Amino acid sequence: MSAALFFTWLEGSVLGQFTRSLGVWSYGTINLVHIIGIALLFGSILLLDLRLLGAWRKVPLAALSGPTTFMARIGFALAVSSGIPMLSVNATDYIGNPFLLVKFPAIALALVNVWLVHRSQAWRAHRVRDLMPRENRRLAIGASLSLTFWLTAITGGRMLGYW
Amino acid sequence: MKLLPGFAVAAVLAASPAFAHHGWSGQEEKLTTMTGTVVQSVSLAGPHGAMKIKVGNQVWDITLAPPARTSRAGLTEGKIPVGATVTVRGNRTTEPGHHEMKTIFVKHGSDEYHVYPDRE
Repeated sequence: MSAALFFTWLEGSVLGQFTRSLGVWSYGTINLVHIIGIALLFGSILLLDLRLLGAWRKVPLAALSGPTTFMARIGFALAVSSGIPMLSVNATDYIGNPFLLVKFPAIALALVNVWLVHRSQAWRAHRVRDLMPRENRRLAIGASLSLTFWLTAITGGRMLGYW
Repeated sequence: MKLLPGFAVAAVLAASPAFAHHGWSGQEEKLTTMTGTVVQSVSLAGPHGAMKIKVGNQVWDITLAPPARTSRAGLTEGKIPVGATVTVRGNRTTEPGHHEMKTIFVKHGSDEYHVYPDRE
């Protein structure tokens, strides 16, 4: 299914009709939830990634990784669950918007990166012992990619509305 | 901390009426008035209110204020039926091939909706 067909379908869907019926503050409110989600997601990720890149070495990585990944998951869930209804309101307005091709591939790459980091030897080891330099480097690469992909996704998402 | 005064100046400039009276980026500076027939009535669902009108053979996207503001101006969904004749005033897009106007004023019969009175 092409993007244009998908967006036409999404806008006409029950979700789109329902979201449009919620009143004059609905779009702003859903947008608010989206922003809070992004703030939680990126704020948590930023702390963890900077730690993996060498900041705040006095803070044990194992003490930071649990809370930040937990909050990042909540933020991502909020962003997705508000983003889909928000898009359904006026999805066809975004057909042909080039920033879609920035935002969504960046999110996909960011998620692949999360998956690769979380299945790495270094990530599994950090909870039980100090990491070797090679393992720290592995996680630092993951952190750099993470910041790049998420910042690209946020930039693409913000610019979508200004195209 | 050295940056703070700079930010303060920028914030005051951005908030000042002189800036507020400038047009929208991507829109013409001048105001245009058009009269046409409503082909899609006002929707207050999206990021801003919107309707479509036909002027001659051309359908125009009439972009209104954000939904709550458009509603406060009295222009709610269902107020103006499809087929009604309306006069709109606003700033047209500068984008070639696009027919869209950021609209500050809508007149329908004797009803006037000033969605951006400070821009008139």
